[in-house]
Amino acid sequence: MIREGSIHIPFTYAAGRAASRFLVVLRDEGRILGSPCPACRRVLCPARSFCPRCGEETGEPVVVDPAGTVVSFTETAAGVFGLVRPDGADTAMLHRLLPAGAKWTIGARVRARLLPERTGSITDIEGFEPLEATEDHA
Amino acid sequence: MRRVAIIGTGQTRHARCRDDASQPELVREAAAAALADAELRPADIDAVLLSNMELFEGRAFPELWAGEGAFACGKPCMKVATGGTSGTSACIAAFHQVASGLFDTALVVGFEKHSEGHTQTGMALTDPFWDRAVASGALGNFALSISEYMTERGVTERQAALVAVKARTNAARNPHAHLKSPEVTVEEVLASRMLAHPVRLFDMCPQSDGACAMVVASEECARRACSRPAWVKATATRHEQPYLGDIDRRLCAMRTLRDASRAVYAAAGIIDPLAELDVAEIYEPVTYAELAWYEALGFCEDGGAGRLIEDGVTSMDGALPVNPSGGVLSTNPVGASGVIRVAEAALQIHGRGGARQVDGARLALATGYGVYAWADAVVLGAEP
Amino acid sequence: MSERIAVKHTMDLAWRYASGEAMERFCADLSDRRIEALRCGGCGRRYLPPRPFCGNCRLRMTERVPVRDVGTLVAWTVVHTPILDGRTGEPRPAPYGMGLIRLDGADTTLNHYLAEADPARLRVGSRVRAVWRPALRGAMDDILHFEVLS
Ligand SMILES: [Zn+2]
Ligand SMILES: [Zn+2]
Repeated sequence: MIREGSIHIPFTYAAGRAASRFLVVLRDEGRILGSPCPACRRVLCPARSFCPRCGEETGEPVVVDPAGTVVSFTETAAGVFGLVRPDGADTAMLHRLLPAGAKWTIGARVRARLLPERTGSITDIEGFEPLEATEDHA
Repeated sequence: MRRVAIIGTGQTRHARCRDDASQPELVREAAAAALADAELRPADIDAVLLSNMELFEGRAFPELWAGEGAFACGKPCMKVATGGTSGTSACIAAFHQVASGLFDTALVVGFEKHSEGHTQTGMALTDPFWDRAVASGALGNFALSISEYMTERGVTERQAALVAVKARTNAARNPHAHLKSPEVTVEEVLASRMLAHPVRLFDMCPQSDGACAMVVASEECARRACSRPAWVKATATRHEQPYLGDIDRRLCAMRTLRDASRAVYAAAGIIDPLAELDVAEIYEPVTYAELAWYEALGFCEDGGAGRLIEDGVTSMDGALPVNPSGGVLSTNPVGASGVIRVAEAALQIHGRGGARQVDGARLALATGYGVYAWADAVVLGAEP
Repeated sequence: MSERIAVKHTMDLAWRYASGEAMERFCADLSDRRIEALRCGGCGRRYLPPRPFCGNCRLRMTERVPVRDVGTLVAWTVVHTPILDGRTGEPRPAPYGMGLIRLDGADTTLNHYLAEADPARLRVGSRVRAVWRPALRGAMDDILHFEVLS
């Protein structure tokens, strides 16, 4: 005999010190923050309060470039997802690559496309689109 | 097996809501405090053990997200899960890892952020055919067992209220504690809101956000790094049948805790725990449970717990202070609560208890409680 | 600290659970208002609801013994702050009584609801009787609750 059902679990997740600041600056200034590690000298992006590799508390956040490089990507039914390393950062962040139909390659140059109305969420970045496309718009 | 000691402990500030810190940040707060207490660096730690309640924060693999906060990157790291005992079980697992010679140092971190999830729903996800139709939850579960315990042992609501007063006044001397009430009275406890007869609001533990960590070390490392290590003298853990109704006389018998405590007393050479122990940190999620544990732990004869609390034997100035920290009744981030019991017992041996220090504490007991399904017991001493 | 950001979300968790043979038979029996326990060949303990094996003796149980729908209240409480019903996610209207009931013919106890929610009328040792749903469905809640016999 089988029984089936579903249950709804409400939850909250506090972004904490570094991620709150990252999201506030993204929302209010449209800029992307990274955190420098005093030990390994890497700039971690998105910003975080400590370096997972060294265990050190990170320093004052720095603004990284909205332009970056695709480190890897995958095409799924829900769209294309890539790891993008923004210029000025040493780590890559997972996000959408836009548009989904484009021909993607590792090493492709991309730029963050921000929503005009932002709420303080990582999806305030709609995704990363080819750098040439944004330059055409400019 | 090698000798093992706790050489450092650290806790966060515990509160109803710690939304100033993410889960990994909270974990790191406790882990960094424990390392600072042990005067060690992250690189000195060989392995990491985590304790947290799956699903309470609505996030899968809590050990994945929180591990980096415990300095676990590049190291062996795992989570131990045994319900409410998770924290004490994680400590015992770390003791075993170091005792075996596998590692020289281990860091244990327990954490919970009840404010971020829905604990009740997590607890309701029991056997869908039977328990889910008639689930009583943690509170109803306690309350049911308490009526049976009161009837058999003659414990009164006033005696239970004395436990609440002791816990909240002790907590007032603990800078980390969540609920502190230096002035609370028995009358206030008895006038507090009824949750599930006979359990009132002040009889029950809170749901807290917080983390607690400790550094476990081999004898060689402990003697080098710590002036007064808290030596692990004995540990025991007992599992039990899972269904409430399958267990006979629940709080009255408390077979798991009774067996686990007898095992650690035998291993540590303790014959009269009330006379020989200097301090105990026991996992008491509800006032009545503390009374039942006195009997299960052999602090008194069955039926003697009411007198023990009335006579102040377990108060800070009594023969055996129980829960100088304020206990689970004052601070309850579940995944951390068991780690806190062991860390607070170690703190007493270290002599670093501050305003909650029991003078000259040299032999301490810590226990864990995972509903009726698990009990853990740990004896720590100033001598190996 | 400056502004704190938090993400709020509701997770929908679908579950599927197989009963196993002992519970399947128990539920089927309920739809005939029949209750049977499983008796352990090692210790003689009669388990209700039936479990596939006795945890104490580590033996599989197969011997079925009849159980009545009347029994003794072993423990009780009146709940004022209800927990969420694990089937629906909704709280049960409070206050309501709950009890641990040892049915005549069984050695373990059932946790179940009580028709009575007045602490003054509940006593450990009271005799209780199952109140059945009019249209039985072969599920645990075919017993709606237990009423105290005067
Ligand atoms: Zn680093
Ligand atoms: Zn048996």
